[in-house]
Amino acid sequence: MGESQKDSENPLNIDGNNFNSEMYIECLLKCATLRQVMDKEAEVVTQSQYLQSEMQTLVYENYNKFISATETVRKMRSDFQIMQEEMNKLSENINKITTFSSTISENLKDSGTTVNRLCNTRQLLDKLQFVFLLPTQLNKAIEENRYMDAVNDYTHAQRVLQKYGSQPSFQSIQTECSEIISDLKKTLRERLLTPDTTASELAESVGLLRQLQESDSSLQDIFLTCAESRLQQHLKSLSSIVDNVDILEWVEKCNNSLLADIGIVITCYHDTFQNKEILPEFADKVMTQVFQLFEEVIKKPENTGTDILIRGLDKFFRKLQAMSEIISSDSVSQKAVDVVVQCINHKASMQYQIIQTQFKENLMKVRQSLASKGTESADLKDILSSLQVHLMQKIQASLLDLMAFLQKNLSFGLKPWCGKAVADACWTVISETLINISDMVKSMASLQASNNIPFELLLVLAKLCLEMQENGVSTLHNHLLKLLEESSPGLTVGNNDTSNIMVSLSTAAQVALDSEVVFIGQTAAQMLRVSVLARDWLRAPEPRGPRAVCRRVVETLASADTAASQLFPTSMKPSSDSSRRTIWSRPSSSFSPISRIFSERIEVFSPAGADRAALSNGALKVALKALVECVRLRTFSRHGLQQLQVDVHFLQQRLSCMGNDERLLNALLEDALSSAQIRCVDPQLMEPSIVDIICERG
Amino acid sequence: MEGGNSIIYGLEHQTRALSPQYAESDAIRFFIGTQSLKPNSNQVHVVELEEDTGELHTKVFKHDIGEIWHLRCSPHDAAILITTHNTYNSDTSQCSMGVSIFRLPTTEVIPKDLDAMTIMNNRNAEDMELLKTMSPEKPEEEIRCAEWHPMDMNRIGIVLDNYVSIRDTSTGEQVGRVAPEGRSRLKFSGGKWSPQGQNQFAVLQDTHIKCFDTRTDCSKAAWNIDGAHRQLARDLDFNPNRQFHLASAGDDAALNIWDYRNGKEPIFTRTDHSHWVWTVRYNTYHEQLLLTGSSDARALLTSAASVCDDEEGLRISQVLEDGVLQSYEQHEDSVYCAEWSAAEPWSFASLSYDARLVISRVPLHFKYKILL
Repeated sequence: MGESQKDSENPLNIDGNNFNSEMYIECLLKCATLRQVMDKEAEVVTQSQYLQSEMQTLVYENYNKFISATETVRKMRSDFQIMQEEMNKLSENINKITTFSSTISENLKDSGTTVNRLCNTRQLLDKLQFVFLLPTQLNKAIEENRYMDAVNDYTHAQRVLQKYGSQPSFQSIQTECSEIISDLKKTLRERLLTPDTTASELAESVGLLRQLQESDSSLQDIFLTCAESRLQQHLKSLSSIVDNVDILEWVEKCNNSLLADIGIVITCYHDTFQNKEILPEFADKVMTQVFQLFEEVIKKPENTGTDILIRGLDKFFRKLQAMSEIISSDSVSQKAVDVVVQCINHKASMQYQIIQTQFKENLMKVRQSLASKGTESADLKDILSSLQVHLMQKIQASLLDLMAFLQKNLSFGLKPWCGKAVADACWTVISETLINISDMVKSMASLQASNNIPFELLLVLAKLCLEMQENGVSTLHNHLLKLLEESSPGLTVGNNDTSNIMVSLSTAAQVALDSEVVFIGQTAAQMLRVSVLARDWLRAPEPRGPRAVCRRVVETLASADTAASQLFPTSMKPSSDSSRRTIWSRPSSSFSPISRIFSERIEVFSPAGADRAALSNGALKVALKALVECVRLRTFSRHGLQQLQVDVHFLQQRLSCMGNDERLLNALLEDALSSAQIRCVDPQLMEPSIVDIICERG
Repeated sequence: MEGGNSIIYGLEHQTRALSPQYAESDAIRFFIGTQSLKPNSNQVHVVELEEDTGELHTKVFKHDIGEIWHLRCSPHDAAILITTHNTYNSDTSQCSMGVSIFRLPTTEVIPKDLDAMTIMNNRNAEDMELLKTMSPEKPEEEIRCAEWHPMDMNRIGIVLDNYVSIRDTSTGEQVGRVAPEGRSRLKFSGGKWSPQGQNQFAVLQDTHIKCFDTRTDCSKAAWNIDGAHRQLARDLDFNPNRQFHLASAGDDAALNIWDYRNGKEPIFTRTDHSHWVWTVRYNTYHEQLLLTGSSDARALLTSAASVCDDEEGLRISQVLEDGVLQSYEQHEDSVYCAEWSAAEPWSFASLSYDARLVISRVPLHFKYKILL
């Protein structure tokens, strides 16, 4: 571009703006050869000639165009003149039309007013006809039981009648109508009072009466009495069928008749009277009765099946929920919740009562089997495990049964209050069952003497209580938690205070054990007492062997020991705890109070430990202490003393394998022998070797 | 003695007979009878507690007629006592029991001067005057006890194996006989005159308590408490102040209080002993205090305040709770006897088989609670 600019500014460029012809020629002359100048001259001449001719062509063309344009303008001027003429004609025509149309409209004005008047007259005539026909219409409607239409018609006409009632023709119609209407009112009232009107008819009647401007309070009273009598009727019929139908049918019937009617009555009442005060009270009264009936239904034995109970309850609860929206009374919805909770609790109490009864029956069977076995030793472990397994199964089954209340498809199944109620009920089942059983055990143990309950059973029951205390409670608790977690995650037992149950169980076990020990001890003691007191020890012959009663005592104690060994394992440590205090061991040769100071006291009736040795120790103490006391009440001859010496030796031999406190055994036996020595008129003991021989021979 | 300490008095032979001196109202005196089969070795010890000094004084009397199983001082005459005794006759090799009435030469025990003191210190057994000896109908019959009639000083009741013999003390003749109808095999274990009924005699028969009116033919019980104890009933005592109330003790280790008009259930029951309870006594002045002795070698002081409430507002149970007030553990053998002092309401004695007499007092704080 710079170059071309330079070219154009260059004065030597022939096509440029600053071309300087003089300079160009001068330069050309200076630079070019002649020949070149000659060529150049020729070239310039040719080019100027060509330019000349081109300019001429352009001038011609422009001239031609100007001429044709002038011609066109001339033609247009002639065309415009024609158009002007046409336009003038058109405006003239339009003026004519306007004139005509105004003439026509002026002509039509009169006939329009006439038509309007005619229309109004016709409407009035229609109304009049309706009024004249009203009585017949009303009668017809009433005959056909279309009370609603009749009342509607009457209310329409009433305004007119009131306005023109002064005119004679209308007066007659009005009287006729009001007669009909008062008849209608009467009919409606009658219908209100007839017992078999349905609640919807009732509501309709009341609505109509209200439209007919009956006074509110009397109507309200009538309405309430009617509704109440109807509801009472329902209640009566419901209560009459309580004994005949199952819960599902009952609830169905209740929902369809009574609850449905209550709903209608209440809605109607609110719509009609706009008064929300009296009715909830009245509804509450009826509902209370319904709930009472429902409670009766629940408690009927044939409704105890969980499935049917829950289905019935579900239906009832759903209806009640719906009802509570209508009644808008908190007490009903609260009551509905209460009903479900009550139902759950009722079920729970049924469960533990059943468990208790079954447990009692089982115990009776065990008692009978123990009694029938007689001297044969029964397998106590077997009995224990069957009792325990049965009990655990029953409790777990009833917990599972209660879980049915938490099913998700139930209207109350997922409610938190329901979950809480179920959890509480389950816990109640567990705790009540166990506490009931401990109480049963306690009462059995304390009645032991008079009721003749086999001591094996006491052992089994004591063990059962201990087992339940150790494992059963926690197993059941965990089981319950698992069930709750499955049915409704996040639900736990609110009140899981086990200490009450534990205390109850352990005291029951202790009472049973104590009772068993005392029973065995007393049985043996009684044998010894009778045998010592009845015998004439002064005239006793020379001993030939231990007396028969000693064998029986040993047998009694041994059988109890064997039974205990089945259930209570032997602990190796000596049971010094159960022998804190009693009499004192001393050398059998002499009565010396000083030696007693150094020995331990033995508590005779003391709580028994839960192992075989402690149980045997307990029974031994009771039996042998009785022997000591009885010996002190008698007087012995030499042979009598020696007989007792043999007896004591025999007992010592045979009993030393029982219990684990030989010191205790020896102390008591030595006490018996030394007491006999004191009570002997000729206290000479036999040679120990001879005693040995006699005992073995016996 | 103050502060609850007890005083112990030891004897040589076994003992199971103890009695307060009922007719004495000043001195705290107890009579003890020994039980020994050795001939001419038995004694009656009179023990007096000198209240001011806390010293014990004793006097010993010979009782050569046999070992003493039971002893009762007369409520009518402080110098007269009755013993139930047993003798072994080596010739027939048989025991025979009897009841004898004695009169003491003097009731004084505490020496008046130095001379008397020296005599005392010699501890020579003195003689008692034997007034009367009574034997059972058959010689081999066992006698449980002999009890003075509370009003009639000439009448005693002797409890034997299966009947009660009412005797005239002056003649020794049997004037009445109490035996339940039918041939009951259940033996009597003791008995007592009813203080209110005057002519009623209550006996312990196995587990039952029966009371007979001695003026009738005595075959039917005037009232009875069947199954008063689950084991043998050992002793009973009538509430001295409250009619119809009595306490009983037995082999079930229980102390029961009964209203005998309704003998189905005891109105009060405690099982604080750990073996048979051999004796029970109401405090003569404060009926809520009961003393029991048991073969667990303990004497227990028990409060039964809840059954001693007066209707007229004065509530004893508000002051004192039910239960054991104090356990007396100074004995080392079975306690067969325990008796309140007849002269002083807060002192009592308990006697164990190993011949140990313990004289104790109700702890002061209980005494103040009751008095204030």
